Amino acid sequence: MSQSLKPYLTAVRYSLTAALNLSNFSSQEVERHNRPEIEVAHQSMELLLNPMHISRNEHEQVLIEPSVNSVRVSIKVKQSDEIEEILVHKFTRFLEQRAENFYILRRVPINNNYSISFLITNQHTETMKVNKLVDFIIEFMEEVDKEISEMKLFLNARARFVAEAYLSEFVY
Amino acid sequence: MSKDAVNVFKLVKTPIYSHCFNHDNSVLAITTENNVLIFNVSQPSKPQLIATLADHDKTVTAVDISVHGRIVTCSQDRNAIVWEPLSDGSYKPTLVLLRINRAATSAKWAPNGFKFACGSSARIVAVCYYEHENDWWVSKHIKSEIKSSITSLDWHDNGVVLACGGTEGIVNVYSGFIKGLDKKEQVMNSPWGEGKYPFGLLLKQFYQGSWIHGIKFNASLEKLAFVSHDARLTIADAQNNIATVSNPSGLPLNDIVWVSDSKLVGAGFDCHPVEFSYDPNAGAVKFSKNIDKIVQSGVAKNISLDNFDNEDDDQENGQQTFGISALRKFKDMDLKGKVSVVDNELGTTHQNTITQLRVLNNSTVSSSGLDVCFFH
Amino acid sequence: MEDWRRIDIDALDPENGRLTAADLTKPILQTGEPVYSSQDVQGIMGSLRSYASSGDFTSVVKLITAQPVYFADSEQTKDMYVKQVVESLAQCRTMEISKIVSGLTDSECDVLIKFLYKGMSIPEGAKQGTILLAWLDNIIEKNGSNSIIRYLTDRKTV
Repeated sequence: MSQSLKPYLTAVRYSLTAALNLSNFSSQEVERHNRPEIEVAHQSMELLLNPMHISRNEHEQVLIEPSVNSVRVSIKVKQSDEIEEILVHKFTRFLEQRAENFYILRRVPINNNYSISFLITNQHTETMKVNKLVDFIIEFMEEVDKEISEMKLFLNARARFVAEAYLSEFVY
Repeated sequence: MSKDAVNVFKLVKTPIYSHCFNHDNSVLAITTENNVLIFNVSQPSKPQLIATLADHDKTVTAVDISVHGRIVTCSQDRNAIVWEPLSDGSYKPTLVLLRINRAATSAKWAPNGFKFACGSSARIVAVCYYEHENDWWVSKHIKSEIKSSITSLDWHDNGVVLACGGTEGIVNVYSGFIKGLDKKEQVMNSPWGEGKYPFGLLLKQFYQGSWIHGIKFNASLEKLAFVSHDARLTIADAQNNIATVSNPSGLPLNDIVWVSDSKLVGAGFDCHPVEFSYDPNAGAVKFSKNIDKIVQSGVAKNISLDNFDNEDDDQENGQQTFGISALRKFKDMDLKGKVSVVDNELGTTHQNTITQLRVLNNSTVSSSGLDVCFFH
Repeated sequence: MEDWRRIDIDALDPENGRLTAADLTKPILQTGEPVYSSQDVQGIMGSLRSYASSGDFTSVVKLITAQPVYFADSEQTKDMYVKQVVESLAQCRTMEISKIVSGLTDSECDVLIKFLYKGMSIPEGAKQGTILLAWLDNIIEKNGSNSIIRYLTDRKTV
């Protein structure tokens, strides 16, 4: 693990642990509803806590927005060139289309600044172990970088192979 | 309290938001989703289910048993129900006219058992009592100075002074004096008010700033303890003497109880109870010890998990639809909780947040959590 | 045409009882929390700059934590101040950070962490992410999640 990745992940881990203290909270706005307060646009400010931005640099950031019964975690995955941008887009889209299998995954990131968002509600912290949820997000962050660079290598190798095969036609 | 003193009841698989014992600790009521289950626990080794109270149609948020054995339950369906025990062991429900239009969040019997208070998300505390003429429970509302949901409330032992706190971060102390039910003698010389206790009068206000999760009076010391989301425990009194202490683990406590005048136990999001000591003379509170937190012994668990992993892998080879390793990890972790890194099981009896504490006697505290229910 | 389907009619009800951010800070302002003018802030920024240029980062941190600008005459003033704080903190050498942080009290850490999270949310701070994370890492090492939970719940923001 590189020197600057460790403090980044430690910060995310502790921030998440502090944010994931959720309770079952019924809406005080709408009768008989129980909704994730962080996802409600117009609402009482007292139910939200201060958001936490954690940035390793301009390209790698995490935003954690906690509320009384839900936490939204948005991750900006490193994208240093156009190929990586495309790969990250395709990869997150693939996951998001299957969001219902991943329970805590949000179908769209909260805005264009972030690649992927998770929404964790009190239902999740009640049925799963909180420390495992944190572990999972940390591990996802570690893995996704590796995955993208692996895919990039694979893509380059494939492109080279295709180019060679195609251009060899013209070699006499 | 050593590890041996822990007696675990694994009763249900759903979160238990609230639990309560009756006066002689033989009957236990727990909330589970829309129902309340009543158990006979006179033999701690095998609790017996006596009754299921199933009239609510949304999550039950609180349950409390009065000195007479009446049970009050309240729920996010905006209702509270009083359950009268019948001689055949069943319970007769009576709906309470709460007149609130949002979820009821907490309920608590006054010490004499003739009235109870019910906090709600409608920015109202309803004090409810029985009306003989109509054979129903009616309520009077306290609204003044409440600007957000009430999450927790507690009666003073005199049955008149009522403290409540909520997401606004303010603890309010009110008078819950009901004419014809309470007598002036109950609040004679009480430091909380100035002689007069008309219903709904705001006696005292403490600004905390973050959500209040739990609140408890100590009548003999005339102190009020409350825990808030900034992981602090605050002890305040009518003279505005305030002592605070932080939970050393840095996670908020959900509930706090006075075990004695010098000892408090709190528990919450760090999954194990914490003991605080209070010095009434100096008015200082400090952390004394963690209860039920043992050193992790992850080795044995790792082995069993690994075996389990192998089985899963065998099954999965057949359907290699997920070729990408991160994705497979994602799926494994989410669906099966399978982790390849070092396992960090919590070394505590509760594996998830503790939602409520109750005092059974001067050395025993019970706690309910999002996973199981147990007591020390 | 205005998107009338999305009008939040509850917001128009004067009795909706919603609390705004201003409602939450009102009780704090009543306790006499100072409100800084842009001149005051300029003064503090000047001393920050001089401490930082002379390499005295203990004084930088002490000043930041002693006079946190929670309330100012305008949002621009607060933003300007945060940028200056980030700039000063980023000049500190990584080796020195742990020594400085270990000398801080809990309440000073609570203040410093507010500037770190806020700093990382602005582009200037994100560029300096590594060094801000080093500060944060040292606070976490010292205080665990204590400072973080108090940052989350504190309505006094920078």
